[in-house]
Amino acid sequence: MGFNGISGILNSPGEIPWEIVVLFFGAGLLFVFLWGRKTGGLAKFTTLDLIYIGIGAAFAVVWEFYIGAFLGKFIPSNPFFGIGYTGRLIALLIVAGLVRKVGVGMVAMFIFNLLSDLISYGFSGEPMYFMYEMLTYGLMMDIVIAAAGPNLFGIKSPERRKNREKDRSTTPRGFEHITKMPAEYLAAIEGILIGLFWVIPEPLFYGGFISPFLYGGVVDWGKILFDMVAFIPSAIIIGAIGGLITLRIVKAVGQ
Amino acid sequence: MNWLIINAVSWILFFFGAAFPVLILLKAIGLTGFMKVTRYESYHTFYYRMNPAVKIILGIMVMVVASVTIWWIGAIMTIAILLSYLTLKDGKRKFITGMFLTIMTVIGTTWAFAPYTPYVILQEAFHSNHLTALWVWPSYFTVMGYQPSLTTQGIIYGFQISMRFTAVSLMSLVLVMTSTPSQVLRSLNKVGIPTSLTFSLVVAMRTVPRIFEYIDTSVKIQFMKGLGSNAPSILRPFYMLTGAFSGIVPVIVFLVRGAKDTAISADTRAFRAYSKRTYMHPMTIGKVDKMALSAVILIILMTVIVVMMGFGKGISYNG
Repeated sequence: MGFNGISGILNSPGEIPWEIVVLFFGAGLLFVFLWGRKTGGLAKFTTLDLIYIGIGAAFAVVWEFYIGAFLGKFIPSNPFFGIGYTGRLIALLIVAGLVRKVGVGMVAMFIFNLLSDLISYGFSGEPMYFMYEMLTYGLMMDIVIAAAGPNLFGIKSPERRKNREKDRSTTPRGFEHITKMPAEYLAAIEGILIGLFWVIPEPLFYGGFISPFLYGGVVDWGKILFDMVAFIPSAIIIGAIGGLITLRIVKAVGQ
Repeated sequence: MNWLIINAVSWILFFFGAAFPVLILLKAIGLTGFMKVTRYESYHTFYYRMNPAVKIILGIMVMVVASVTIWWIGAIMTIAILLSYLTLKDGKRKFITGMFLTIMTVIGTTWAFAPYTPYVILQEAFHSNHLTALWVWPSYFTVMGYQPSLTTQGIIYGFQISMRFTAVSLMSLVLVMTSTPSQVLRSLNKVGIPTSLTFSLVVAMRTVPRIFEYIDTSVKIQFMKGLGSNAPSILRPFYMLTGAFSGIVPVIVFLVRGAKDTAISADTRAFRAYSKRTYMHPMTIGKVDKMALSAVILIILMTVIVVMMGFGKGISYNG
């Protein structure tokens, strides 16, 4: 038995070399640090953003431990679709849509993980899970947010703006450079992108590194690849739906 | 005909093995039950006087002990913590809700392990090659990772595994039920987590019970509008589920809209105006905390002795 339920096994058969994992996490942190410096990062979050993040994390927790956990009992464990994944993705997409700042993914995953520990897991296996949740799910979401720029989910698309500000006939100033793609398409595409990115962590990082590192065991690479490929169709559908729900909610909130 | 019955029953078990019993329990707990066990209520018994940091340490201790010792130690801790729920405000209600939640975890975990655990592991755990089959699955079920048949030993094994989780969940809920979010915030700030993050966490902690409350309201409104009014009462839980599901997005919108008011009220109280905060009530380690910490040390010592006596976990989980 190792520290806090972590066996610290680095040489399980088939385990991803720890150097690669450290390199990925390091590169991820560097990226976010540099990007954070450019955009202001955590300090730039307003009080309102922090509240949105808290509400989103609360929804993810309620889903993960109560509603989704219950619905999941009706759906047998399978590699094609995950109830937990669905709720967590949609909750985090909504937070991302409301905040739209780089770093929101990681901060939201941090709060989600901390709250999960407080109400259910009791800090077992920490700090590995903080690193895992933040630097895989959170970081991947932040990469898409960074790449999408100011018009995440088409929330600032000229057409939406025009509809909102009917008295103006031209594109509002400052948004000329933004793509003309309809907001709904952009929301769906970016939702799909994040959904696809989110397919990777569970089989690859958890199955290939975190799980053998914490508990030992043989890594089955056939299963990892199969699980990733099998999950893609549902990730595309849920990502698209999540993007559209986000657009709706953001609209209802009046942004 | 026989073939058809076996297949039909197997598929029903496959889809609803754990769902039906859990559905009945869910009905018994109700959404207000969930709200009760995730919300702070002011009271004066020992849990309420304890420093939140000590409660977190207690939770970690319970988790570690449950994961390194044999199943019945986890079971004893579960029962002990559950009984301590009686000291909480509205203790009887919380005790019953906690008990139902525990039963749900036990059923869920048992069912998650029973059909899948390989015979080799069961034989090793029970020190016997003889396994009692309760139900033989159709042969193609093995494709889904099922063992050829459901065995008594598989169910017992799943039950024993569930004892690793139940005590920790109950102890964690104690923290949420007996500390105000601001107390938790103070102890987390002491560990060095920035105020902005703990603020988000506190919002999240306060939002969890509110989500149940609002979904409950939404379901009731849908029932008043006639959802499932002509359906037989046995189907009511399913309508409750449908109502809860369709209530989610409106509840999100409602909560997110209220976020602005919370932000204004925090900002007008000069939140984050300074990097450090001061507190009106400093967090202290009192008599109750010292008692709890001594109990923690005692339990850890006992665990070491128990493990040395050979009651550690290992693969032979059965004792």
